[in-house]
Amino acid sequence: MSGRPILLEARGLQASRGMRPVLSTIDLALHASEAVALVGPNAAGKSTLVRALAGLLRATAGEVRLLDRPLGTWSRDALARAVALVASEDEGAPAMTVRDRVALGRYPHRGPLRPFTDADHAAVERAIRLCGIGTLAGRTLGTLSAGERQLAALARGLAQEPRVLLLDEPAAHLDIGHELQLFRVLDEVRTQDVTVLAVIHDLARAARWAERMVLIAAGRIAADGPPDAVLQSPAAAEAFGVHVRGHAVAGLSHPLYSFEEGLQ
Amino acid sequence: MSPRRTLALLLAALPLAVALAVAIGSVRLPLAGVLGLAPLDPAHHTILWSVRLPRVLLAAVVGGGLAVVGATLQAVFRNPMADAGLLGVSSGAALGAVLASSAGWAAGVFLALPAAAFGGALLALVLVYALAHVAGRPTLHGLLLTGLAVSALAGAALSMLLVATEEFRVKTVLFWLAGGLEGRSWPHLALGSVFVLGGCLLLWSFARPLDLLSLGEDEAASLGLPVHATRLAFFAGAALVAGAATAVAGSVPFVGLMAPHALRPSVGSLSRRLLPAAFLGGATLVVLADLGARSLSGRYELPLGSVTAFLGAPYFLMAVRRGEERG
Repeated sequence: MSGRPILLEARGLQASRGMRPVLSTIDLALHASEAVALVGPNAAGKSTLVRALAGLLRATAGEVRLLDRPLGTWSRDALARAVALVASEDEGAPAMTVRDRVALGRYPHRGPLRPFTDADHAAVERAIRLCGIGTLAGRTLGTLSAGERQLAALARGLAQEPRVLLLDEPAAHLDIGHELQLFRVLDEVRTQDVTVLAVIHDLARAARWAERMVLIAAGRIAADGPPDAVLQSPAAAEAFGVHVRGHAVAGLSHPLYSFEEGLQ
Repeated sequence: MSPRRTLALLLAALPLAVALAVAIGSVRLPLAGVLGLAPLDPAHHTILWSVRLPRVLLAAVVGGGLAVVGATLQAVFRNPMADAGLLGVSSGAALGAVLASSAGWAAGVFLALPAAAFGGALLALVLVYALAHVAGRPTLHGLLLTGLAVSALAGAALSMLLVATEEFRVKTVLFWLAGGLEGRSWPHLALGSVFVLGGCLLLWSFARPLDLLSLGEDEAASLGLPVHATRLAFFAGAALVAGAATAVAGSVPFVGLMAPHALRPSVGSLSRRLLPAAFLGGATLVVLADLGARSLSGRYELPLGSVTAFLGAPYFLMAVRRGEERG
């Protein structure tokens, strides 16, 4: 990873939700066009870290730097042009069309008043096409399935044309077909020089997709490295309280994982 | 129906409603004369120009403004049933107007009445927003209950003012509670138009941030929007329009709920299209409601606010029922 430049970096980052401290001293550097899976047990601080990286949550100590400048020195618009966040909550008014929803991703480029240019329209159409929702573009959000709405939310993030794409449980409501589609889109996004960091609950899926896995437990980074190594590390077993076994299967380039209860 | 066709239909309906409302009344004016196709006799001419036309146009301005306020608040609160009336904004504006009028400020200071109505509306909105957000994102129930409480508070203050008001002024106070356009003329229209139309244009020109707010706090912030400041700015704009509308017409409930709610399925929820459509729909609605208020009873003029409430309350209940069925 060291060959690629660092885009987004947390240094000694601490953050709280309300009065409750959630993150303690996170050091994490995201490199150009890296695919990072952020995993960890419930309430470990994954969403908090993602929000702090996106600049939505102020650090109580330490800092987040984008292209080696503290987030606080970036204007809101410039920050939103560089970093996009897509959460799993199903936002958006039911009467809004998919295309209008995606077009809101151009806000950081155009602001409240400036009219859309051809470049804006092109970015919107590109994002829609990349997510494979061209046939849904004219439909309203209320008529879509949860999976289709999630792809529309992802397309909004892509329409921002960010350098870094942060996703908080993007596959949370998706069936297997939509899940595979989503991760295929993320792979394509990476080839366009975009760094992708995604909070993923399904550890086996995370290991398949990512080139790097960051394990968070109790507000700290417990392991960070190649997914198969992180997943089979004692840290993972301890964080989740389970036995993790990787099984090599003839004809498959990656191990299959099984998880068993038992560790406390 | 496509957004374009809906808009065309609304654009045709409003002038038609205006012409109808100008022609019909205690004295019926010939439609040809109203439309300028035939000469009017002098008495009719006077009725048309100094009574009917300003009143009907004011009804259109008030209705359009309240509908735009409704659509704006629905986006900010992310709830298709938010409305100035249900959120206590109208009561706040009425309280401000009554206060200005009972205390005698309205007689002495230019613009004191609309300013007080604006203040009351803004205060109510900020209060509802702050109270409802104490426990995170408010549900419809939470919002409505908070609005109810703020309305009740404003109502209680109004009652106290009413007791303290000299008898000859009580009727003026009752006017704001019931809502109506009786005796309204050009000065009211001028006053109302400046603030209502100006405020509506302002809200419309910031349609894009309004749509971002409808996505929710995290997403709006991640797109670079200063969420709280933007919300407060929209509250100020909505209070400006609601305050001015209330200052000239009293409280006219449910318009802000019905017009956007009924139009959203056909024009969509994008504010750039919804706000103008809601304006036209609300304007037509109130022009016709005022026509009803003037002509339904042969002996009295009915309060305009009662007419819209008779339409709006069942509409609201049906919409809530349908929303519950859909889950």
